[in-house]
Amino acid sequence: MDISTEQIESTTVVRLSGNLDTNTSVPAHEKLDSLIENGHTHLLVNLRHVGFVSSAGLRILLATAKRLNGTDGSLKISNLNETVNEVFEISGFNSILNVFNTEEDALKDG
Amino acid sequence: MNQAQVHSTLPRETFVLGSIPLVESCSVLEARRKIHSLVSLVAPDSLVPTRLATVVSEVGKALRRLNPQPRIEVGLCARGNLPRLQLDFVGQLDSRSLGYLNSFFDHLEKDSGSSGLFHRVNVELSSSAVNSATLARLREIVEQKTRDQLLEEIQSKNSELEESLETLKRTRSAKDRMESELNIGRDIQMSMLPLSFPAFPEQGEFDVHATLYPAQEVGGDFYDMFMIDLDHFCFCVGDVSGKGVPAALFMAVTKTLIKSRAANDLSPASILSHVNSESAEGNDSAMFVTLFLAILNLDTGEMVYSNAGHNPPYLMRSRGELQRLENRHGPVIGAVEGIAYGEDSITLTPADMLYLYTDGVTEAMDIEGRLYGEGRLRERLKLSDYSTAKDAVGDTINDVWRYQGDASQADDITIMSVRYHGPVTQEGETELTLRMHNDITAIAGINDDFNAFANQHSIPAAVQRRMNVCLDELLNNIVSYGYCDEAVGDEHEIELHFRLLDSELVVTIVDDGKPFNPFGNDPPDICLSVEERPIGGLGVHLVKNFMDRVHYERHGENNVVTLHKQLHQDAQEHLQEHLDQEHEA
Repeated sequence: MDISTEQIESTTVVRLSGNLDTNTSVPAHEKLDSLIENGHTHLLVNLRHVGFVSSAGLRILLATAKRLNGTDGSLKISNLNETVNEVFEISGFNSILNVFNTEEDALKDG
Repeated sequence: MNQAQVHSTLPRETFVLGSIPLVESCSVLEARRKIHSLVSLVAPDSLVPTRLATVVSEVGKALRRLNPQPRIEVGLCARGNLPRLQLDFVGQLDSRSLGYLNSFFDHLEKDSGSSGLFHRVNVELSSSAVNSATLARLREIVEQKTRDQLLEEIQSKNSELEESLETLKRTRSAKDRMESELNIGRDIQMSMLPLSFPAFPEQGEFDVHATLYPAQEVGGDFYDMFMIDLDHFCFCVGDVSGKGVPAALFMAVTKTLIKSRAANDLSPASILSHVNSESAEGNDSAMFVTLFLAILNLDTGEMVYSNAGHNPPYLMRSRGELQRLENRHGPVIGAVEGIAYGEDSITLTPADMLYLYTDGVTEAMDIEGRLYGEGRLRERLKLSDYSTAKDAVGDTINDVWRYQGDASQADDITIMSVRYHGPVTQEGETELTLRMHNDITAIAGINDDFNAFANQHSIPAAVQRRMNVCLDELLNNIVSYGYCDEAVGDEHEIELHFRLLDSELVVTIVDDGKPFNPFGNDPPDICLSVEERPIGGLGVHLVKNFMDRVHYERHGENNVVTLHKQLHQDAQEHLQEHLDQEHEA
């Protein structure tokens, strides 16, 4: 799993590449945690290059969202492929998390 | 003649010894011999018998010549205190023979009694002669049969014999009829069986072998096997109560009912319910049949079966476990109308072998009447590693024969074995087997290998990703939670079979972790802390949604999860997705 970040105004865009699964969720979670600890509380996770997200991936996204909810931070997610979108729909994460079609859409929002 | 003293009134306290007839031509000689023997026994000197015999010979000839029923009656009488042998010459005599009598006997009596005219003479006996043994012997001599009498008796005996021979013949033919009925029954029985093996050489997905040894007297075993369609193989083993033509006909009816029903019905439960209703109706002879029937899906390995009172078959797993399909789904067929039979399903993995048999196997007896037994069969199957169905049948039947030795076979013996090879792969590459250890980090490798396989076979990316999610979820479950009661670091192997069929992807995941059905209601896992527990079975929820069909079974020491995914439907979705993307662009 490759993780790159880009600061666009107040939002830290986190671009994941690979699959967000049982194994990769661990380093992904660590990365997100360290970003928050370093004051990056407005996160946009771009899944454009993520093939699939399993429940382990959902779990770290949920954990991150919960952690940011307690602050004035926020978590946005964008660029879900068909399979990831299905996972979000099936799990109901579509309604729990802020999901956007594209990075641009997400950045424009609020 | 005038010398003869004729008494018309005599005391007649006579003990009758018998009568010597003089009817036949040879009877005078016979009478002479008898009189000689009689007198020899009782006369005080040896001259008397010879002389008397000569007299009898002469008088006898005259008696025969002059009378229609000539005879000499022999008896014992007492004259004074002395016992005497008394001879009555019954019939007319001429003067010459009377002269003989008078010259020999002191007293010749002439009288006519109930049996007609007779001349009676007496011979004085020695006083010691008369005892019970002598009397018996005397009577024996008198009653000795002449040759003609014997001949006549033999003739009458012969006709009696002939009669009883006829009776015997009639009895024999009844027995023959019974035997021939048994033979006809056996002929019908055997003619119904598929006997040539390999039975389905064109079907590479499985191999089947069966054998039936009919017993002399009882037993009504049968088996059948046929393809319902290209993907479904139906097979059954049964045991009809009774023997002979009625049992064979019942068997034929049952077999026909099964086959005709199975043509349009892939449910063993439904087939058995139907066959039962048909055969129980008007079954006055109260015959019934125990039946195990299964339908094997050659593509997926799924075997649906129903057992109506038959011996539970064995399943020899490719991984070495021996499993008994204990489930019963209803009573024997034909006994009670209107039974709804049940069925169960089990998935065979390649190299799994099913072993069906009738009670003739376990109830085979050695010369001392001890049963072969279920335990012996189980041990045999457990210790063996058969590579073909024929091996399994051959090895076990030979073991039964060895055990039986010189004892006679009591009941029909039937064995059938079905070995599942897996679906036929057209290019040898539509199947993939992967193995991993219980190591989380190995999951990604499995997904990579699967994706490479999927790409080779143009499985749509959407299907690949969904399968990736499912594998990640299920393998994570197994590795993380399947072995928590084991020492840390214990190595386990998880095996995955991917099979690509016409329009379906079938994945089987086998692990030897603790029994756990991921698709059941998740039991609270006491091995785990709250943090460690999977979040609300979400992963399994995803799997169920992504796959068309999921199935869990515990096979011996293994959990077996099977996933089915239609490719066609996803290919269309994939196309739609593609079009949508183009549209967006």
